[in-house]
Amino acid sequence: MDADLLSDTFVALADTMVADFDIIDFLHMLTDRSSRLLSASAAGVVLADPRGQLRMAAASSDEAGLIELFQAQNDEGPCLDCLRTGQSVTATDLAGPAQRWPRFAAAATSAGFGTVNALPMRLRDQVIGALSLFSAGNTPLGQEELRVGQALADVATIGLLQERNVRRAETLAEQLQAALNSRVVIEQAKGRIAERHALDMDQAFRLLRQHSRNTNQRLTDVARYVIDSPTADFPPQPRR
Amino acid sequence: MNAGRPAVVWGQIAGHAAAAGQRASVADVCAVAMGPAQVSGAWVTVSGDRGPDFVMCVTDPVGEQLAELQLTLGEGPCCDVLASAAPVLAADLGDEDSGRRWPGFAAPAGRLGAGAVFAFPLSVGVIRTGVMGLYCNSPGSLSVAQLGDALILADAATLLLLDGLQHGGDGQAAAAGGLPVSGQPPDLAVHRAEIDQATGMLTVQLSVGIAEAFARLRAYAYVSDRRLADVASDIVGRRLRLHRDPGGDGAR
Repeated sequence: MDADLLSDTFVALADTMVADFDIIDFLHMLTDRSSRLLSASAAGVVLADPRGQLRMAAASSDEAGLIELFQAQNDEGPCLDCLRTGQSVTATDLAGPAQRWPRFAAAATSAGFGTVNALPMRLRDQVIGALSLFSAGNTPLGQEELRVGQALADVATIGLLQERNVRRAETLAEQLQAALNSRVVIEQAKGRIAERHALDMDQAFRLLRQHSRNTNQRLTDVARYVIDSPTADFPPQPRR
Repeated sequence: MNAGRPAVVWGQIAGHAAAAGQRASVADVCAVAMGPAQVSGAWVTVSGDRGPDFVMCVTDPVGEQLAELQLTLGEGPCCDVLASAAPVLAADLGDEDSGRRWPGFAAPAGRLGAGAVFAFPLSVGVIRTGVMGLYCNSPGSLSVAQLGDALILADAATLLLLDGLQHGGDGQAAAAGGLPVSGQPPDLAVHRAEIDQATGMLTVQLSVGIAEAFARLRAYAYVSDRRLADVASDIVGRRLRLHRDPGGDGAR
Protein backbone atom coordinates (compact mmCIF):
# COMPACT_ATOMS: atom_id res chain seq x y z
CA MET A 1 0.00 0.00 0.00
CA ASP A 2 1.15 3.50 -0.81
CA ALA A 3 2.01 5.06 2.57
CA ASP A 4 2.01 8.62 1.19
CA LEU A 5 -1.41 8.12 -0.34
CA LEU A 6 -2.64 6.66 2.95
CA SER A 7 -1.57 9.62 5.06
CA ASP A 8 -2.69 12.04 2.37
CA THR A 9 -6.14 10.39 2.38
CA PHE A 10 -6.67 10.81 6.10
CA VAL A 11 -5.41 14.38 6.01
CA ALA A 12 -7.78 15.18 3.14
CA LEU A 13 -10.73 13.53 4.91
CA ALA A 14 -9.99 15.39 8.13
CA ASP A 15 -9.68 18.66 6.19
CA THR A 16 -13.10 18.10 4.67
CA MET A 17 -14.78 17.60 8.02
CA VAL A 18 -15.13 21.26 8.78
CA ALA A 19 -18.34 22.77 10.11
CA ASP A 20 -21.39 22.27 7.92
CA PHE A 21 -19.69 20.09 5.33
CA ASP A 22 -21.72 18.19 2.77
CA ILE A 23 -22.09 14.57 3.78
CA ILE A 24 -22.66 13.21 0.27
CA ASP A 25 -19.65 15.08 -1.08
CA PHE A 26 -17.61 13.77 1.85
CA LEU A 27 -18.70 10.16 1.31
CA HIS A 28 -18.03 10.52 -2.40
CA MET A 29 -14.47 11.60 -1.65
CA LEU A 30 -14.11 8.77 0.85
CA THR A 31 -15.21 6.13 -1.68
CA ASP A 32 -12.97 7.63 -4.34
CA ARG A 33 -9.95 7.53 -2.02
CA SER A 34 -10.84 4.05 -0.77
CA SER A 35 -10.86 2.58 -4.23
CA ARG A 36 -7.50 4.13 -5.11
CA LEU A 37 -5.87 3.23 -1.81
CA LEU A 38 -7.09 -0.35 -1.69
CA SER A 39 -6.60 -1.04 -5.40
CA ALA A 40 -10.30 -1.65 -5.97
CA SER A 41 -12.02 -0.77 -9.25
CA ALA A 42 -14.88 0.89 -7.37
CA ALA A 43 -16.14 1.60 -3.89
CA GLY A 44 -19.52 2.56 -2.49
CA VAL A 45 -21.14 3.46 0.81
CA VAL A 46 -24.50 1.84 1.40
CA LEU A 47 -26.70 2.83 4.35
CA ALA A 48 -29.35 0.83 6.18
CA ASP A 49 -32.62 2.72 5.88
CA PRO A 50 -34.90 1.75 8.79
CA ARG A 51 -37.70 1.49 6.21
CA GLY A 52 -36.11 -1.87 5.38
CA GLN A 53 -33.90 -1.05 2.43
CA LEU A 54 -30.26 -0.66 1.53
CA ARG A 55 -29.65 2.76 0.01
CA MET A 56 -26.52 3.89 -1.77
CA ALA A 57 -25.20 7.18 -0.37
CA ALA A 58 -22.09 7.55 -2.52
CA ALA A 59 -19.91 5.71 -5.00
CA SER A 60 -16.46 6.28 -6.45
CA SER A 61 -17.40 5.82 -10.07
CA ASP A 62 -19.92 4.46 -12.54
CA GLU A 63 -22.74 5.34 -10.22
CA ALA A 64 -25.46 3.82 -12.34
CA GLY A 65 -23.87 0.38 -12.35
CA LEU A 66 -23.17 0.45 -8.64
CA ILE A 67 -26.66 1.65 -7.74
CA GLU A 68 -28.02 -1.43 -9.50
CA LEU A 69 -25.60 -3.67 -7.65
CA PHE A 70 -26.68 -2.25 -4.31
CA GLN A 71 -30.35 -2.44 -5.21
CA ALA A 72 -29.86 -6.10 -6.11
CA GLN A 73 -28.67 -6.64 -2.55
CA ASN A 74 -31.99 -5.85 -0.97
CA ASP A 75 -32.64 -9.57 -1.29
CA GLU A 76 -29.19 -11.07 -0.89
CA GLY A 77 -25.53 -10.18 -1.04
CA PRO A 78 -22.39 -9.43 0.94
CA CYS A 79 -23.53 -5.94 2.02
CA LEU A 80 -26.77 -7.30 3.41
CA ASP A 81 -24.91 -10.02 5.29
CA CYS A 82 -22.40 -7.48 6.54
CA LEU A 83 -25.24 -5.33 7.90
CA ARG A 84 -26.93 -8.29 9.51
CA THR A 85 -23.83 -9.69 11.18
CA GLY A 86 -21.79 -6.55 11.77
CA GLN A 87 -18.77 -8.41 10.40
CA SER A 88 -16.80 -7.79 7.24
CA VAL A 89 -17.85 -10.09 4.41
CA THR A 90 -15.74 -11.13 1.44
CA ALA A 91 -17.14 -12.60 -1.74
CA THR A 92 -14.64 -13.77 -4.30
CA ASP A 93 -14.66 -15.75 -7.55
CA LEU A 94 -18.11 -14.37 -8.28
CA ALA A 95 -18.10 -15.82 -11.79
CA GLY A 96 -17.47 -19.31 -10.46
CA PRO A 97 -20.00 -22.06 -9.74
CA ALA A 98 -21.89 -22.64 -6.47
CA GLN A 99 -22.48 -19.06 -5.41
CA ARG A 100 -23.77 -18.17 -1.96
CA TRP A 101 -25.72 -15.26 -3.48
CA PRO A 102 -26.49 -16.42 -7.04
CA ARG A 103 -28.46 -13.36 -8.17
CA PHE A 104 -25.99 -10.89 -6.70
CA ALA A 105 -23.07 -12.84 -8.17
CA ALA A 106 -24.65 -12.71 -11.62
CA ALA A 107 -25.23 -8.95 -11.35
CA ALA A 108 -21.67 -8.36 -10.09
CA THR A 109 -20.17 -10.51 -12.81
CA SER A 110 -22.04 -8.71 -15.56
CA ALA A 111 -20.81 -5.40 -14.07
CA GLY A 112 -17.26 -6.76 -14.38
CA PHE A 113 -16.51 -7.53 -10.73
CA GLY A 114 -14.99 -10.76 -9.44
CA THR A 115 -14.50 -9.80 -5.80
CA VAL A 116 -16.48 -7.75 -3.30
CA ASN A 117 -15.46 -6.80 0.24
CA ALA A 118 -18.09 -5.31 2.53
CA LEU A 119 -16.87 -3.57 5.70
CA PRO A 120 -19.33 -2.64 8.45
CA MET A 121 -19.99 0.94 9.53
CA ARG A 122 -20.58 0.46 13.25
CA LEU A 123 -21.55 2.77 16.05
CA ARG A 124 -21.71 1.10 19.46
CA ASP A 125 -23.98 -1.93 18.98
CA GLN A 126 -25.56 -0.64 15.78
CA VAL A 127 -24.54 -1.32 12.19
CA ILE A 128 -25.61 1.65 10.11
CA GLY A 129 -24.14 0.77 6.74
CA ALA A 130 -21.23 -0.71 4.87
CA LEU A 131 -18.26 0.41 2.84
CA SER A 132 -18.12 -1.85 -0.17
CA LEU A 133 -15.08 -2.42 -2.36
CA PHE A 134 -15.36 -3.99 -5.78
CA SER A 135 -12.54 -5.34 -7.90
CA ALA A 136 -12.25 -7.09 -11.21
CA GLY A 137 -9.95 -9.91 -10.13
CA ASN A 138 -10.44 -12.74 -7.67
CA THR A 139 -8.05 -11.56 -4.96
CA PRO A 140 -9.70 -10.45 -1.73
CA LEU A 141 -8.18 -7.67 0.39
CA GLY A 142 -5.19 -8.66 2.52
CA GLN A 143 -5.00 -8.20 6.31
CA GLU A 144 -3.42 -4.76 6.14
CA GLU A 145 -5.81 -3.56 3.48
CA LEU A 146 -8.75 -4.80 5.52
CA ARG A 147 -7.55 -2.81 8.52
CA VAL A 148 -7.20 0.35 6.46
CA GLY A 149 -10.58 -0.34 4.84
CA GLN A 150 -12.18 -0.69 8.25
CA ALA A 151 -10.59 2.57 9.37
CA LEU A 152 -12.11 4.26 6.31
CA ALA A 153 -15.51 2.72 7.11
CA ASP A 154 -15.20 4.11 10.64
CA VAL A 155 -14.39 7.56 9.25
CA ALA A 156 -17.53 7.33 7.11
CA THR A 157 -19.54 6.69 10.30
CA ILE A 158 -17.93 9.64 12.04
CA GLY A 159 -18.73 11.76 8.99
CA LEU A 160 -22.39 10.85 9.25
CA LEU A 161 -22.49 11.96 12.86
CA GLN A 162 -20.74 15.20 11.96
CA GLU A 163 -20.12 17.48 14.90
CA ARG A 164 -23.48 16.80 16.48
CA ASN A 165 -24.15 15.64 19.99
CA VAL A 166 -23.45 11.91 19.80
CA ARG A 167 -24.78 11.25 23.30
CA ARG A 168 -28.31 11.42 21.93
CA ALA A 169 -29.20 8.08 20.40
CA GLU A 170 -31.54 9.96 18.06
CA THR A 171 -28.78 11.97 16.39
CA LEU A 172 -27.60 9.17 14.19
CA ALA A 173 -31.10 8.33 12.95
CA GLU A 174 -31.68 11.99 12.11
CA GLN A 175 -28.36 12.35 10.31
CA LEU A 176 -28.88 9.14 8.36
CA GLN A 177 -32.20 10.40 7.02
CA ALA A 178 -30.69 13.80 6.23
CA ALA A 179 -27.99 12.04 4.20
CA LEU A 180 -30.53 9.89 2.37
CA ASN A 181 -32.65 12.93 1.56
CA SER A 182 -29.57 14.79 0.28
CA ARG A 183 -28.91 11.86 -2.02
CA VAL A 184 -32.46 12.17 -3.41
CA VAL A 185 -31.97 15.92 -3.96
CA ILE A 186 -28.77 15.17 -5.88
CA GLU A 187 -30.46 12.49 -8.01
CA GLN A 188 -33.28 14.93 -8.88
CA ALA A 189 -30.73 17.59 -9.86
CA LYS A 190 -28.73 15.07 -11.92
CA GLY A 191 -31.87 14.28 -13.87
CA ARG A 192 -32.58 17.94 -14.55
CA ILE A 193 -29.00 18.67 -15.65
CA ALA A 194 -28.80 15.50 -17.76
CA GLU A 195 -31.97 16.41 -19.61
CA ARG A 196 -31.10 20.05 -20.07
CA HIS A 197 -27.61 19.38 -21.44
CA ALA A 198 -28.13 15.95 -23.00
CA LEU A 199 -25.65 14.27 -20.66
CA ASP A 200 -25.67 10.89 -18.98
CA MET A 201 -26.16 10.72 -15.21
CA ASP A 202 -22.45 10.31 -14.41
CA GLN A 203 -21.58 13.35 -16.50
CA ALA A 204 -24.38 15.31 -14.84
CA PHE A 205 -23.02 14.37 -11.41
CA ARG A 206 -19.49 15.41 -12.36
CA LEU A 207 -20.81 18.74 -13.61
CA LEU A 208 -22.73 19.27 -10.37
CA ARG A 209 -19.69 18.40 -8.29
CA GLN A 210 -17.35 20.52 -10.35
CA HIS A 211 -19.66 23.50 -10.01
CA SER A 212 -19.87 22.95 -6.26
CA ARG A 213 -16.05 22.93 -6.08
CA ASN A 214 -15.57 25.93 -8.35
CA THR A 215 -18.05 28.06 -6.46
CA ASN A 216 -17.18 26.71 -3.01
CA GLN A 217 -20.77 25.76 -2.26
CA ARG A 218 -22.11 22.60 -0.66
CA LEU A 219 -23.02 19.95 -3.22
CA THR A 220 -26.57 19.58 -1.89
CA ASP A 221 -27.09 23.36 -1.93
CA VAL A 222 -26.03 23.54 -5.58
CA ALA A 223 -28.40 20.65 -6.35
CA ARG A 224 -31.29 22.40 -4.58
CA TYR A 225 -30.58 25.59 -6.45
CA VAL A 226 -30.51 23.78 -9.79
CA ILE A 227 -33.99 22.39 -9.16
CA ASP A 228 -35.63 25.29 -7.38
CA SER A 229 -34.62 28.08 -9.69
CA PRO A 230 -36.16 27.87 -13.15
CA THR A 231 -33.30 29.83 -14.64
CA ALA A 232 -30.51 28.08 -12.74
CA ASP A 233 -27.92 26.94 -15.13
CA PHE A 234 -24.22 26.71 -15.44
CA PRO A 235 -22.29 26.03 -18.61
CA PRO A 236 -21.81 22.31 -19.17
CA GLN A 237 -18.18 21.31 -18.84
CA PRO A 238 -18.29 17.55 -18.61
CA ARG A 239 -14.94 15.89 -18.28
CA ARG A 240 -15.09 12.64 -20.10
CA MET B 1 -33.78 -5.00 7.54
CA ASN B 2 -37.29 -5.93 6.57
CA ALA B 3 -37.79 -5.26 2.87
CA GLY B 4 -41.43 -6.35 3.02
CA ARG B 5 -42.45 -3.92 5.75
CA PRO B 6 -43.57 -1.00 3.53
CA ALA B 7 -46.17 -3.18 1.81
CA VAL B 8 -47.53 -4.25 5.22
CA VAL B 9 -47.89 -0.66 6.44
CA TRP B 10 -49.43 0.48 3.16
CA GLY B 11 -51.88 -2.40 3.49
CA GLN B 12 -52.87 -1.16 6.93
CA ILE B 13 -53.49 2.34 5.59
CA ALA B 14 -55.62 1.00 2.74
CA GLY B 15 -57.45 -1.31 5.14
CA HIS B 16 -58.24 1.51 7.53
CA ALA B 17 -59.59 3.62 4.68
CA ALA B 18 -61.64 0.75 3.28
CA ALA B 19 -63.17 0.03 6.69
CA ALA B 20 -64.44 3.61 6.75
CA GLY B 21 -65.67 3.25 3.16
CA GLN B 22 -63.31 5.94 1.93
CA ARG B 23 -60.27 6.33 -0.24
CA ALA B 24 -56.98 6.55 1.65
CA SER B 25 -56.08 9.95 3.09
CA VAL B 26 -53.60 11.38 5.55
CA ALA B 27 -56.24 10.81 8.26
CA ASP B 28 -55.79 7.07 7.75
CA VAL B 29 -52.02 7.50 8.01
CA CYS B 30 -52.44 9.28 11.36
CA ALA B 31 -54.82 6.61 12.61
CA VAL B 32 -52.48 3.79 11.57
CA ALA B 33 -49.56 5.56 13.28
CA MET B 34 -51.21 4.81 16.59
CA GLY B 35 -51.16 1.11 15.71
CA PRO B 36 -47.80 -0.12 14.41
CA ALA B 37 -45.78 2.88 15.50
CA GLN B 38 -47.43 2.60 18.93
CA VAL B 39 -47.61 6.30 19.65
CA SER B 40 -50.25 8.17 21.66
CA GLY B 41 -51.28 10.48 18.87
CA ALA B 42 -50.37 11.92 15.47
CA TRP B 43 -50.95 14.98 13.32
CA VAL B 44 -50.10 16.26 9.88
CA THR B 45 -49.48 19.89 9.03
CA VAL B 46 -49.27 21.14 5.47
CA SER B 47 -46.88 23.80 4.24
CA GLY B 48 -48.96 25.90 1.91
CA ASP B 49 -47.31 27.67 -1.01
CA ARG B 50 -50.16 30.14 -0.96
CA GLY B 51 -50.50 30.74 2.75
CA PRO B 52 -49.37 29.81 6.23
CA ASP B 53 -48.93 26.23 7.34
CA PHE B 54 -52.10 24.64 8.61
CA VAL B 55 -53.09 21.54 10.56
CA MET B 56 -54.67 19.06 8.19
CA CYS B 57 -55.53 16.25 10.54
CA VAL B 58 -55.07 15.16 14.12
CA THR B 59 -55.96 12.04 16.04
CA ASP B 60 -56.86 13.65 19.37
CA PRO B 61 -57.08 16.97 21.27
CA VAL B 62 -53.56 16.71 22.70
CA GLY B 63 -52.12 16.17 19.24
CA GLU B 64 -54.08 19.14 17.98
CA GLN B 65 -52.76 21.39 20.71
CA LEU B 66 -49.20 20.23 20.15
CA ALA B 67 -49.50 20.98 16.43
CA GLU B 68 -51.13 24.38 16.99
CA LEU B 69 -48.65 25.34 19.69
CA GLN B 70 -45.71 24.81 17.34
CA LEU B 71 -47.35 26.74 14.51
CA THR B 72 -48.16 29.59 16.89
CA LEU B 73 -44.74 29.74 18.52
CA GLY B 74 -42.82 28.99 15.35
CA GLU B 75 -40.77 26.70 17.55
CA GLY B 76 -40.59 22.97 18.21
CA PRO B 77 -39.48 19.75 16.55
CA CYS B 78 -41.92 20.20 13.65
CA CYS B 79 -40.55 23.66 12.87
CA ASP B 80 -36.96 22.38 12.91
CA VAL B 81 -37.87 19.66 10.44
CA LEU B 82 -38.59 22.28 7.81
CA ALA B 83 -35.07 23.65 8.17
CA SER B 84 -33.18 20.37 8.27
CA ALA B 85 -35.29 18.25 5.88
CA ALA B 86 -34.67 15.37 8.29
CA PRO B 87 -36.62 13.91 11.20
CA VAL B 88 -36.30 15.62 14.57
CA LEU B 89 -36.66 13.08 17.33
CA ALA B 90 -37.22 14.55 20.80
CA ALA B 91 -37.36 11.44 22.95
CA ASP B 92 -37.63 13.38 26.19
CA LEU B 93 -39.16 16.85 26.18
CA GLY B 94 -38.24 17.17 29.86
CA ASP B 95 -34.49 16.82 29.34
CA GLU B 96 -31.97 19.61 29.24
CA ASP B 97 -31.37 19.44 25.49
CA SER B 98 -35.07 19.89 24.68
CA GLY B 99 -35.47 22.70 27.19
CA ARG B 100 -32.55 24.57 25.67
CA ARG B 101 -33.57 23.90 22.11
CA TRP B 102 -37.27 24.76 22.46
CA PRO B 103 -37.59 27.02 25.52
CA GLY B 104 -41.12 28.10 24.60
CA PHE B 105 -42.43 24.72 23.52
CA ALA B 106 -40.91 21.99 25.71
CA ALA B 107 -42.55 22.88 29.03
CA PRO B 108 -46.08 23.63 27.73
CA ALA B 109 -45.95 20.46 25.62
CA GLY B 110 -45.09 18.50 28.74
CA ARG B 111 -48.02 20.05 30.59
CA LEU B 112 -50.30 19.02 27.71
CA GLY B 113 -49.22 15.44 28.34
CA ALA B 114 -46.47 14.86 25.79
CA GLY B 115 -43.33 13.10 27.02
CA ALA B 116 -41.80 12.76 23.56
CA VAL B 117 -42.44 14.34 20.16
CA PHE B 118 -41.16 12.92 16.88
CA ALA B 119 -41.38 15.06 13.75
CA PHE B 120 -40.94 13.78 10.20
CA PRO B 121 -40.61 15.81 7.01
CA LEU B 122 -43.16 14.94 4.33
CA SER B 123 -40.70 15.30 1.52
CA VAL B 124 -39.07 13.66 -1.47
CA GLY B 125 -35.73 15.36 -2.05
CA VAL B 126 -36.52 19.02 -2.68
CA ILE B 127 -40.27 18.36 -2.78
CA ARG B 128 -41.75 19.36 0.56
CA THR B 129 -45.39 19.13 1.46
CA GLY B 130 -45.59 19.27 5.24
CA VAL B 131 -44.71 17.61 8.51
CA MET B 132 -46.01 14.56 10.33
CA GLY B 133 -45.83 14.76 14.12
CA LEU B 134 -46.13 11.89 16.57
CA TYR B 135 -46.24 12.13 20.33
CA CYS B 136 -46.02 9.70 23.22
CA ASN B 137 -47.36 10.29 26.72
CA SER B 138 -44.15 9.08 28.28
CA PRO B 139 -40.58 9.87 27.27
CA GLY B 140 -38.60 7.24 25.42
CA SER B 141 -36.87 6.61 22.11
CA LEU B 142 -38.55 4.99 19.16
CA SER B 143 -37.22 1.50 18.48
CA VAL B 144 -35.65 0.90 15.06
CA ALA B 145 -38.84 -0.91 13.99
CA GLN B 146 -41.06 1.96 15.19
CA LEU B 147 -38.81 4.46 13.43
CA GLY B 148 -38.99 2.43 10.22
CA ASP B 149 -42.79 2.34 10.40
CA ALA B 150 -42.95 6.06 11.09
CA LEU B 151 -40.77 6.77 8.04
CA ILE B 152 -42.95 4.55 5.86
CA LEU B 153 -46.06 6.34 7.16
CA ALA B 154 -44.44 9.70 6.39
CA ASP B 155 -43.74 8.51 2.83
CA ALA B 156 -47.38 7.50 2.45
CA ALA B 157 -48.59 10.84 3.82
CA THR B 158 -46.28 12.67 1.41
CA LEU B 159 -47.73 10.89 -1.61
CA LEU B 160 -51.32 11.35 -0.43
CA LEU B 161 -50.70 15.06 0.09
CA LEU B 162 -49.08 15.40 -3.32
CA ASP B 163 -52.12 13.74 -4.88
CA GLY B 164 -54.35 16.12 -2.95
CA LEU B 165 -52.34 19.12 -4.07
CA GLN B 166 -52.54 17.98 -7.68
CA HIS B 167 -56.28 17.52 -7.58
CA GLY B 168 -57.51 19.91 -4.94
CA GLY B 169 -55.26 22.89 -5.42
CA ASP B 170 -54.52 23.56 -1.75
CA GLY B 171 -54.25 20.10 -0.29
CA GLN B 172 -57.58 20.29 1.52
CA ALA B 173 -59.09 17.66 -0.78
CA ALA B 174 -56.77 15.00 0.56
CA ALA B 175 -58.22 15.48 4.03
CA ALA B 176 -61.79 16.04 3.01
CA GLY B 177 -62.61 13.39 0.46
CA GLY B 178 -59.47 11.37 0.15
CA LEU B 179 -57.89 10.51 -3.15
CA PRO B 180 -56.42 7.36 -4.59
CA VAL B 181 -52.73 6.74 -4.31
CA SER B 182 -51.50 6.38 -7.85
CA GLY B 183 -49.35 3.36 -8.51
CA GLN B 184 -48.83 0.24 -6.52
CA PRO B 185 -47.92 1.03 -2.92
CA PRO B 186 -45.06 -1.49 -2.64
CA ASP B 187 -43.63 -0.06 -5.85
CA LEU B 188 -43.76 3.46 -4.49
CA ALA B 189 -42.36 2.38 -1.15
CA VAL B 190 -39.18 0.94 -2.63
CA HIS B 191 -36.71 3.68 -3.26
CA ARG B 192 -35.05 3.81 -6.68
CA ALA B 193 -32.55 6.43 -7.76
CA GLU B 194 -33.99 6.32 -11.30
CA ILE B 195 -37.35 7.59 -10.04
CA ASP B 196 -35.63 10.72 -8.69
CA GLN B 197 -33.55 11.13 -11.83
CA ALA B 198 -36.60 10.75 -14.07
CA THR B 199 -38.45 13.33 -11.94
CA GLY B 200 -35.60 15.78 -12.49
CA MET B 201 -35.62 15.09 -16.24
CA LEU B 202 -39.35 15.73 -16.42
CA THR B 203 -38.97 19.22 -14.97
CA VAL B 204 -37.24 20.07 -18.27
CA GLN B 205 -39.38 17.94 -20.61
CA LEU B 206 -42.60 19.33 -19.18
CA SER B 207 -41.34 22.78 -18.05
CA VAL B 208 -42.89 22.25 -14.63
CA GLY B 209 -41.78 22.35 -11.02
CA ILE B 210 -40.40 19.28 -9.33
CA ALA B 211 -43.58 18.38 -7.41
CA GLU B 212 -45.66 18.45 -10.56
CA ALA B 213 -43.03 16.49 -12.47
CA PHE B 214 -43.23 13.77 -9.81
CA ALA B 215 -47.03 13.77 -9.97
CA ARG B 216 -46.94 13.47 -13.76
CA LEU B 217 -44.50 10.59 -13.57
CA ARG B 218 -46.73 8.72 -11.15
CA ALA B 219 -49.87 9.56 -13.08
CA TYR B 220 -48.31 8.21 -16.28
CA ALA B 221 -47.37 4.94 -14.54
CA TYR B 222 -50.85 4.65 -13.08
CA VAL B 223 -52.69 5.35 -16.32
CA SER B 224 -50.48 3.05 -18.39
CA ASP B 225 -50.68 0.39 -15.65
CA ARG B 226 -46.92 0.03 -15.41
CA ARG B 227 -44.54 -0.05 -12.49
CA LEU B 228 -43.23 3.37 -11.56
CA ALA B 229 -39.65 2.05 -11.53
CA ASP B 230 -40.03 0.72 -15.08
CA VAL B 231 -41.43 3.99 -16.41
CA ALA B 232 -38.63 5.89 -14.66
CA SER B 233 -36.07 3.53 -16.16
CA ASP B 234 -37.46 4.17 -19.65
CA ILE B 235 -37.29 7.91 -19.14
CA VAL B 236 -33.71 7.78 -17.81
CA GLY B 237 -32.78 5.43 -20.67
CA ARG B 238 -34.35 7.97 -23.05
CA ARG B 239 -36.77 5.43 -24.46
CA LEU B 240 -39.74 7.48 -23.28
CA ARG B 241 -40.48 11.20 -23.22
CA LEU B 242 -43.46 12.90 -21.65
CA HIS B 243 -44.93 15.95 -23.28
CA ARG B 244 -46.57 19.07 -21.98
CA ASP B 245 -49.85 18.02 -23.51
CA PRO B 246 -50.83 15.01 -21.38
CA GLY B 247 -52.33 13.30 -24.46
CA GLY B 248 -49.04 13.40 -26.30
CA ASP B 249 -46.96 11.19 -24.02
CA GLY B 250 -45.34 8.22 -25.61
CA ALA B 251 -42.31 6.24 -26.54
CA ARG B 252 -40.02 7.81 -29.05
